[in-house]
Amino acid sequence: MLQIRGLTKRFGGLAAISDVTMEFPAGSLTAVIGPNGAGKSTFFNLISGAFRPDAGEIVFKGETITGLDRAAIVRRGIGRAFQVASFFPSMTVAENLMAAIAAHRGQWGDLNHRFPRQGVRDRAMEVAEMLGLHDNADTLSANLSHGDQKLLDIALALALEPSMLLLDEPTAGMGPEERWRMIEKVQRLWQQQHLTLAFIEHDMDIVFGISSSIRVLCYGRLLAEGTPDEIRNNPAVIEAYLGTPDAEEDA
Amino acid sequence: MSVPTRSHTLRDIMIGCLVIAALAAIPFLLPSKAFQDFVIRCSSMALFATSLNLLVGYTGLSSFGHGLFYGLGTYSFALLMQKTGLPLPAAFVLTLLLTAATAVVVGAICIRLRLIYFAFVTLAMQMLAHSIVISWVGLTGGDQGLQGGIPRRVVAGIDLGNQYHLYIFSAVLLVIGLLLMRHIVSTSFGTSLRMIRDNEVRAAFLGIVVWRVKLTVFVLAAVFAAVGGIVMSLFVSGAYPELINWPISGDAIFAIVLGGVGSFLGPTVGASILLLLNDVVTRQTEYYGLALGIIILLFALGLRRGLLDFITQRLGGRPAGGIS
Amino acid sequence: MDLDALIGCVTSASCVVTQTTSGLIVGMLLFLVAAGLTLIFGVLKIVNFAHGTFYMLGAYLAYTVFAVTGSYVLGVLGGGLGMAVFGVIFERFLISRVYGANVLMQLLICYAVVLICDDLVKIVWGPDFYAMGMPPAFQVPPLFIAGGVVPPFYLVLISAALVIGGALGLGLGLTRMGKIIRAAAVNPDMVSALGINTTLLYSLVFAVGGMLAGLAGGLAAPVRSLTPGMGFSVLIESFIVTVIGGMGSIAGALIAAVVLGLIRSFGTIGFPLFTDGLMYIAMIIILVVKPSGLFGKEIV
Repeated sequence: MLQIRGLTKRFGGLAAISDVTMEFPAGSLTAVIGPNGAGKSTFFNLISGAFRPDAGEIVFKGETITGLDRAAIVRRGIGRAFQVASFFPSMTVAENLMAAIAAHRGQWGDLNHRFPRQGVRDRAMEVAEMLGLHDNADTLSANLSHGDQKLLDIALALALEPSMLLLDEPTAGMGPEERWRMIEKVQRLWQQQHLTLAFIEHDMDIVFGISSSIRVLCYGRLLAEGTPDEIRNNPAVIEAYLGTPDAEEDA
Repeated sequence: MSVPTRSHTLRDIMIGCLVIAALAAIPFLLPSKAFQDFVIRCSSMALFATSLNLLVGYTGLSSFGHGLFYGLGTYSFALLMQKTGLPLPAAFVLTLLLTAATAVVVGAICIRLRLIYFAFVTLAMQMLAHSIVISWVGLTGGDQGLQGGIPRRVVAGIDLGNQYHLYIFSAVLLVIGLLLMRHIVSTSFGTSLRMIRDNEVRAAFLGIVVWRVKLTVFVLAAVFAAVGGIVMSLFVSGAYPELINWPISGDAIFAIVLGGVGSFLGPTVGASILLLLNDVVTRQTEYYGLALGIIILLFALGLRRGLLDFITQRLGGRPAGGIS
Repeated sequence: MDLDALIGCVTSASCVVTQTTSGLIVGMLLFLVAAGLTLIFGVLKIVNFAHGTFYMLGAYLAYTVFAVTGSYVLGVLGGGLGMAVFGVIFERFLISRVYGANVLMQLLICYAVVLICDDLVKIVWGPDFYAMGMPPAFQVPPLFIAGGVVPPFYLVLISAALVIGGALGLGLGLTRMGKIIRAAAVNPDMVSALGINTTLLYSLVFAVGGMLAGLAGGLAAPVRSLTPGMGFSVLIESFIVTVIGGMGSIAGALIAAVVLGLIRSFGTIGFPLFTDGLMYIAMIIILVVKPSGLFGKEIV
């Protein structure tokens, strides 16, 4: 589904991502992990077109998408949600989703018809229902709870009917119980919508609990990849997370 | 924002027709030249201010130089009428095309700038236009303004040199302009504007090509401002540097903040209040600035939002284009 | 447009000296005003649209103090101190009420203050032009440098502005409060995180900004005619300076102010009617090439 070859991004003199090569097979549920500052968010930003890579290639469904702008990448089927929930605070939940659907249907430049056009509202309610937001459809999104705002962010991405979804820390800022509720919803979506899904996550219980494969980034490089079992026993990963005894003394 | 339907459009058109009918009747009941003058000036200002609110209130683009397009409207229209033999409707359309072309160039330069820089560069663009008008004496008459009147004002039996005809003409232009802008903000395009205002990054990641939406609304707003400018040009029979100088942008900003950026009719209400204040205060005192300044302070510190927004919120509503 | 005159001037030493001196005066006075503007923006992220009014009031205040005491130095200091106090009052009672509000609301409040002060000046000092005239101490024959006429007072003005600018630089660089102000200009969140009294800090910044504008007004009083509304052109020019230099950057303001002063003084010869237009073009070009100004940080 998505192949990445030799991806590199430098900020000033520092390489935030260097020479990363990996693949996300169709239908996979992949966790991207790594210590703070490993370049995970930068990695997602590169795939989704927020940043332009300095080197390397991104191939999605057989087509090179390297260097395309954000909107063009979205139209090819890669949706994303953000670490800090990102939505349209002056609109209700339903309006948020209708706006996203109208944008997806190419109506964002439409000066002829009133908003929302036919079918948009029904589709919005469908998407809201997928994430359990339909009871709050007419709530002003700024007034939603933190967890519901994160769900709305994901729902906005889903409204685009993406074939691949990038979630940057879907459980950020949540308590342990809420995290699991959230991640179960994500897992259900992945199954029902036949998505290829990649997510960044810090909670190792969740990572090892639900993902089918794991990628570990460290200092901008791909440190390891494999199944949860392989990663659990990988000495390089253990070292990166726990640090060598020397490193710990330095810290 | 309730779900708009076709019936909303019909209702808006009906209201517009009623307003025109009422305005047409008033001079027969109350023959006052001052009132007609007021409506003409008010139509011009309201078109201008509402067009600015497409940028400020609906898209979150704080332009300080929108008066450039208002002034461009007055000057191009007056010049086309004076220097060419074009009939009035042709000059009208050509003025709008010229303004749109200018707005494409100015917009292409400005819209990629952020916040305060956008504000200042639009202001600089307007000041530049003002400098050109002042220094190109041969074409524009310099600081004396473009005198000599506007010829060929009779179109299809309507004499725009006649006070009552111009009065109706301005009111009709205002109503049509407002209906069109109302339509623009209620389309999917209008929703894109709100998305960009709320969260530009999110809008881009939903597939909206942000610069294209911004440039489009910038050009549309410029065209409506130029319509306001044309009305003013007809009213003053020419064009003057004050109509393209920065305080004209200040007036429009004042009108929309006064009336309310979050309500569609806020700028129209604000424009009326501003002109009314202007007329009343200048008659009462020579210290117009002092009086106006105190009123502004009371508004800004007392209500902290425009009049219509204040009323809407008091009634428990939520402003359609609200920014706080 | 008169390119011949411009070429004639540039190739004549005396004309270059005369124009450069007058350009430097404009530039240095502009720098003092713009430094306050950029400081206020850097720390508070507020654009003080009333800054030209500080300058105007400073000039009138200096005029009155000079008229009473006969001392130009006292006049300038009076203008500076008076505007420092005015700046604090303005910040405490008006601007602090719209922190975090839409920039248009801030614009409106400042606009109101400009209107009110212009009329108050008319009421107190009258609507006519005032000329303070050269202080007696400086009524001496001009110097001739390379054939160019340079009144000694001009040199005094330029050095005074340099001294004030230097003191500002030292104050920001060496004192504790100065360091806090500079840090706040870079990262406003940090200041509240460090538990610094932001109320005091903001008032102080407005006091310094007001004082700079007041000093500039006082210094300029002998060479400018005083009139209600004189603040506006200064406001626009110091905006251009801060935007070109990069908002929040004092070094940028210095360079931009001098450049603008020179554009003005030489522009008057080559493009007498279009001098202002030249400044706007300069500003537009620089912002198009570098959207955050010469020394500005990218605002996201």
